[in-house]
Formats: sequence, structure tokens, C-alpha cells
Amino acid sequence: MPDNAIYYQVAYGAIIALFVGYAFSIRLRRQAIARKRRDAERAR
Amino acid sequence: MTSTPSARARAGIDWFALVAIVAMGAAFVRAIVFTPPDRLQGFAQKIFYVHLPSAWVAFLAFGLTAIAGGVWLFLKDPRLDRFAESSAEVGVIFTTGVLISGPLWGKPIWGAWWVWDARLTLTLFLWFLYLGYLVLRSAVDDREARARYSAVVGILGALLIPFIHLSVYIFRTQHPTPIVANPTGIQMPGVMITTLFLALGAFTLLYVALVRARMRLASERDALLDQAAAESTP
Repeated sequence: MPDNAIYYQVAYGAIIALFVGYAFSIRLRRQAIARKRRDAERAR
Repeated sequence: MTSTPSARARAGIDWFALVAIVAMGAAFVRAIVFTPPDRLQGFAQKIFYVHLPSAWVAFLAFGLTAIAGGVWLFLKDPRLDRFAESSAEVGVIFTTGVLISGPLWGKPIWGAWWVWDARLTLTLFLWFLYLGYLVLRSAVDDREARARYSAVVGILGALLIPFIHLSVYIFRTQHPTPIVANPTGIQMPGVMITTLFLALGAFTLLYVALVRARMRLASERDALLDQAAAESTP
């Protein structure tokens, strides 16, 4: 059996990083919108 | 101590996302620890359990983007446009997963990170096409025009999906024919099939959780824009 575990380990790590990074980007964008809303309410 | 729904919403985590995270964890643990490596391909074959579910979700996401866009053209409901936008963005993320995991599987098995065969090339085009869809959306300010243009692009983009699926039959490709959606039945041992279906379920749950989160973002953005427009109107 070929010794090639590193490829699946890298693939799994990359997939997890991709999803976590994307979820984090949604969170950051929502926080930015909430900040803008607060600023707008404060300016009113 | 129990947290209220509003407290959970403020924290940015909902119950569906938690279920999806647990399912993804279970799928990864089963694939890594409890599923044996392939006799011929070795451990690299375990990439299958993230590669195929990513491709399935990408096709699902773009298919639903097209359907939502098509229905929007008749109903003009902004929720459909927000869903199409969210599903397309999540689909691009999953297609990115396909394009990362594919070469990592190809290198040890084919001896090449990438080959320009029909399946791989069309998948790359699909990725570019929906990246273009997202760029188009960000370039058009008028909400109705943006929804109309992107609905058309979303529908036309999804027409690539059947070609991608059938490309391994139509053309001579390096990429193998489907193992699951195969007319002769699933050609895998039971333990691997169980892991695959667990991963398919987990990735689908993750898709729903990410689309829900992305739709909340789109709703909050639109509400902010509506508020700004109302305040600027004399």
C-alpha cells in the first residue's frame, strides 16, 4: 500500500480551514453591518 | 444555565449550525479513524470523503441558485434573490474545496496535480462563472436590475452542471466515472459507503447552515441600505 497519507491530511486541513475561514468572514461582515447601524443610530 | 434564542443569535451561532458542526466532526472522525485505507490507492483515497461531498453540495448550491433566480423572475420576491446570492457564494466555497482536494488526490494517484481533461476543466469554468456571478452582483447598485441580471447568469451557469456530470461519459477523461451515481450500482465496500453517506449528509447540513448565516447577513445589509435610503429621502 502506498505511503501517501500526507495528501489526505493536507486536503482535510485545507477543507476545514476553508469552511472555518468562510464562516468567520460572514461573522466579520455581520459585525461590520451592525457597527454601521450603530453609527447611523448614534448620528441621528 | 440555558441561553435564550436571542442570546444565541447575538453570539452568531444557531442550533442548526451546531448540528452541522457536530455532523462534520463525526464525518471527519469516521473517515480518519474508522474507515480503512484503500488497498490500491492507500490513505490518499480518503480525500474521496471530502471531494465528492464538496462536489455534490456545489452542484446543489448552483442548482438551487438557478431555481431561486428563475422563480424570482416571476415573483420578484427579494428573499429569493437573497437566497440565490447566498447559495451561489456558498457554492463557490464548496467548488473551491473540490478544486483544492482534487489536485491533492490527483498527484499521488495520477502523478499530476492537474490535467486539462473535460471534467476538471469544466469544473474550473463553473468556478469562474459563479465568481463572475458574485462580481456582477457587487458591480450593480440597483437592486432589481442586479437580481434580474444575476438570475439570468445563475440559470445559464447551472446549465454546465449536467455537462460536468456527463463529461466522463462523453469525453475520454483522466477523471474516473462516478462510483455512486453509477448505472451498475455503487462499487465500494459497505464501510466506505457508510462513511461517504455520512459525509454527504454532513456537508449538506453545513451548506444549509452557511446559507442561513449568509442570508441573515444579506437581510441585515438590505435593511441597513433601506434605512439609509429612507433617511436620505427629503
